[in-house]
This record gives sequence, structure tokens and C-alpha cells, in this order.
Amino acid sequence: MSQHDLSFEAMGSHVRFLIGEPADEAPSAREAAERARAFIAEFDRELSRFKPDSGLSRLNADERERVPASALLRRAVSAGLEAAERSGGLVDPTLLREIEATGYATSRAGMGGAPLAEALERAPERRPARPDPEARWRRISVDDERGEVVRPPGVFFDTGGAGKGLAADMVAERLRGYSRYVVDCGGDIRIGGADALLDPYEVYVEHPLTGKRAFVLRLSRGGVATSGLNVRIWRDEDGRYAHHLLDPATGEPAWTGLVGATALGDTAVEAETLSKAALLSGPEGAREALAGQGGLIVHDSGRVEPVGPLARPPRIRLPKLEGNGAAA
Amino acid sequence: MTERRSQTKPGGRTRRPGPATVIWGSIALFAVLFALFTYQLSAPGQPRQQVLVRKVVKRRVVTTVAPTPGESTVTSGPVVSATQPAAAAAPVTTSAS
Repeated sequence: MSQHDLSFEAMGSHVRFLIGEPADEAPSAREAAERARAFIAEFDRELSRFKPDSGLSRLNADERERVPASALLRRAVSAGLEAAERSGGLVDPTLLREIEATGYATSRAGMGGAPLAEALERAPERRPARPDPEARWRRISVDDERGEVVRPPGVFFDTGGAGKGLAADMVAERLRGYSRYVVDCGGDIRIGGADALLDPYEVYVEHPLTGKRAFVLRLSRGGVATSGLNVRIWRDEDGRYAHHLLDPATGEPAWTGLVGATALGDTAVEAETLSKAALLSGPEGAREALAGQGGLIVHDSGRVEPVGPLARPPRIRLPKLEGNGAAA
Repeated sequence: MTERRSQTKPGGRTRRPGPATVIWGSIALFAVLFALFTYQLSAPGQPRQQVLVRKVVKRRVVTTVAPTPGESTVTSGPVVSATQPAAAAAPVTTSAS
């Protein structure tokens, strides 16, 4: 039982595919991996906010209310709106100007970050993030019949909240004919394949403060994603520490008492949405957000707390003995 | 008692088959069933028994480093590609990005 392993840098992150054996008609795992890499390149070209000629940049620069958009861009907008809906507006895809104002106007790929421990010492009082009362994302819609994105000019869209998860899910859709697969787009992961049900993958969760292994998950299908403050953290012009996870109510970086959150989901988009919503909610809200599918939160102190199904010890289910009681 | 009485009712004679009849009957039945199964397995269009062939791959790692095609801004750095046994793959890690 072999699998093809392909790694490369894209979308400002590390991307990796593990692909098992193909079904009869499917191309080889190596070829599938190369096709998937080409798709990621297309995804990045169309949806990067750092590329002035991308579909996303053209959408944001367009002054019309209805803007023609590719199928890929429309799907990304739909995913961003679903993430906002699912998180009650915490994962807000309209904070483009705010994120640029904090100092994240160009790609930070390959740039060294600021020390998180020092940033935590100087960070303001911890409090949960809140949704923007204006909820600008509710004014965005997708018209698939006419191939357009509809929104008032001046409402900008950013794929950051669900982009890598969507990329992982879309690659996974292309790998359904393979015995097993992992699609890892910068830590937003989708797993599937029949063989993975019998022999699940081990997924290590990296601790945001130490960089060491904080937890090991065994996953046979679905998505897992991690959000954290340890990457894409910098000092702004005033010397204050800033990062890319913003409080929608203030447009400022959120300091909630958590430095990391990992979430499980049926898809990578769902996991990414839940992990961001959990981190932005702070410890109490995160426990609620992750109660259903399960996850992991890392407090400012470094303490790792499993949540939901991950917090419960594994149960051994014995078959019920039926009959007249003699068998019991 | 009632059952015995009904079996030995006057005029109701029961004939038991002889040993040769039983033996040849069994052989004939086996032959018919065997022929039927053989026909079912060999008939075209019928689902055949699947034989799963698994390759036993000894540890063999082939690594190639290739430049990224297309725009250099799309991906950067080396591309690492390898086919290897599933158990030999580096662990999958989720972390913030």
C-alpha cells in the first residue's frame, strides 16, 4: 500500500498532498498530485488579494453593484458568506480594509513573525470578539444564474476566513477515486478515502507557543483546521503587536485569552470556520463552538484543553445481550 | 400413541427407498448443483468473484525536486515529490498558517 507525497509552497503557506492508489480508470497518484498542484496555482491566481489582476482584486476594485465573476470566485464568496452565517458574523469576510490598516496589506509569506510570548505580555485586556453590528457581509450575494457577485460598491470581500479550507475541499473532490488521501493547505486539512476508514491518519496538532506536538488526532475522514496567533504576527507603525485575526466589532486584532484553536468538521471549510470562531470567541465561547464536532483550545498560558468529543474518554461499546435474561 | 396408531393404519403401507436409490439420488443431486454453480460462475455477464491483488511494496523512496511551473509568484521554493509506503510518510501536522 503506497501513496504519493507532494509538498510545495503556495498561497503563502505550505501545501501537501498524500494520495493513495487510484481506482481502475483514475490517473496515477503522481499525476493526480500534479493536477491538484495546478489547481492550487489557479485557485491562488484567482483568489489572492495580493495580486492586482486576480478575480478577487478586480471584484473589489469594481464600482458596479453587480460584478461578473468566475465560478471559482463565486464559490469562494459563497463559502465566505456561509462561514459568516455559521459563526454568527465572527468570521467576517468584509474586513479587507481593516486588515490592511493593521499592516497586512502585502503577503507575509516567508517573513519572520514577532515573538508571541512578548506580544501576549503587552497585549490589551482579554475579551471575546464580537460581530460587527452592521454585518456588511449580509449585503453580499451570489447570482450563479447570471454569473455575478452582487454587493454595494465599497463593501470589500476577503477570502481569508475560508480560503485554504475551500482549496483543501475542492482538491479532495478531485481525489474521490483514490484509496486514501490527505489534502493539507497550510494546516487546513481534508482527509478521505475508503482505506483511511480502516487505517486512519494520525494528525499532529502543533502547539502555538512551543512548536511542539500538543495533541495527536486519529482521523479517517472529514476536516481539521487550526487557527493561531503564532504566525502572521507583527509590530505596527506604532510598535504595537498586531495579528491577522480581527475583532469584527472593532476592526482591531482580537486578544481573547486564546492563542490557538483546532477544530474538527465534516469539511475543511467547516473546520476552518469553527477554529477561527473558537479563537475569536475566547475560552468560554470556544467550548460552546467546538462542543459538537470537537476540538482543542490553547490558552494564553500555554495550557491545552481538549473540548467536546475530544475531552471525553473513549468508550468501549459492548454488544447488547438479548434474550430471556439467561445470557446475562 | 396417537401418532403410532395413525402410521399403522390398515391398508396404509409405507415404502422405504432402497440404499442404492438413496446413494444414486444423492450423487445425481450433487452433480446437478455442481453443474449449476459452475455455469453461474462461468456465464458471461454474471458477476464473477473478485480477486484482490495487492502489491507488496518494499520500502523504496523516490524523491524529485522540480521547479514550479507557471508564475513564480504562485508558488515558491522547491517541490518535493515522493512515492513511498503509506507507513513511511512523514506525519501530517495541523498548525496555524
